[in-house]
Amino acid sequence: MQTTSQRFDANITELARQQLEAFVAATSGVTLAVLTSGDGFEIAAHPRGLPTVQRLAAMSSSLQALSEAMVQEAGLVRIRNLIIESDGGTVIVLGIGNVTPRLSLTVVASGDEILGRLLWASRECSAALERRLLLSNV
Amino acid sequence: MNADRELKIVFTGPMGAGKTTAIRAISDAPPVSTEVANTDQATVAKATTTVALDYGQLLLEDGTAVSLYGTPGQERFSFMWEILCRGAIGVVLLIDGSTPTAREDLRTYAEAFRRINPHQPFVIGVGRVPGDEPVLDEYARALAARGIVAPVFGVDVRNREDVLLLIETLLCVLEAQTFEAANADH
Repeated sequence: MQTTSQRFDANITELARQQLEAFVAATSGVTLAVLTSGDGFEIAAHPRGLPTVQRLAAMSSSLQALSEAMVQEAGLVRIRNLIIESDGGTVIVLGIGNVTPRLSLTVVASGDEILGRLLWASRECSAALERRLLLSNV
Repeated sequence: MNADRELKIVFTGPMGAGKTTAIRAISDAPPVSTEVANTDQATVAKATTTVALDYGQLLLEDGTAVSLYGTPGQERFSFMWEILCRGAIGVVLLIDGSTPTAREDLRTYAEAFRRINPHQPFVIGVGRVPGDEPVLDEYARALAARGIVAPVFGVDVRNREDVLLLIETLLCVLEAQTFEAANADH
């Protein structure tokens, strides 16, 4: 099986990793941030090397695709983001703007983070990733 | 959908085996699809791939409503296999007979789904069968050697009649199992 860094351009994964690292450092409560391809591959993550990251990347793409199908079925036009609230914390999955092929950002945060602030920071990170990746001609 | 009874059937198999196409071929309404761009062209040269599920519905002549669920093919989505198999009465396993990995795929997926639910009957549909029928017997024998008895058919998943044959066979297998179980109780 190919690893993430083998499947995607090294410069892009490094750019993304730096952005995720800065986001995690600046946003209290965030324990993991993963950039994922639409078909469920991890492109970059911070922290690196966590054993669950590849499965979370696959689950993120499934959930996002399923959410999109549900939004379309309900006639609600276009999905913005997916928020999962649990007793232990929050997971947010956001699409990365106009990047092709489709990418998404998954953010895992511990329980005491305020949802609004987490969502705002995640959207900022998503927008920053979009700018950097578009400049890199993804 | 008004129905006398409702059943759930899962379509599975490796990426590119035709799960989405098969469900599209028999669903009474346009199926729900979760296809996205495939970035893994090295594994299967295919534009799109299913990442969550396909969902379609089929009303049989006897009034049975069948919910059709297609799984993603790749092993990294195996968590969806388990979720989708909950409550299913059986599994249709599709294999692309033209790939060099067809036999290995058959074994891998049959064993994976046998592990998920040892009692779920399944039926095998082999597409793009090279040559003639003997290869299907070989597939059936290979499975039987591993303790898995399942009907094996050569199919074109674009053909509604072929896919309906798989569904009807699965229902027959289920009926036979139910009959045997009832007899065993007496």
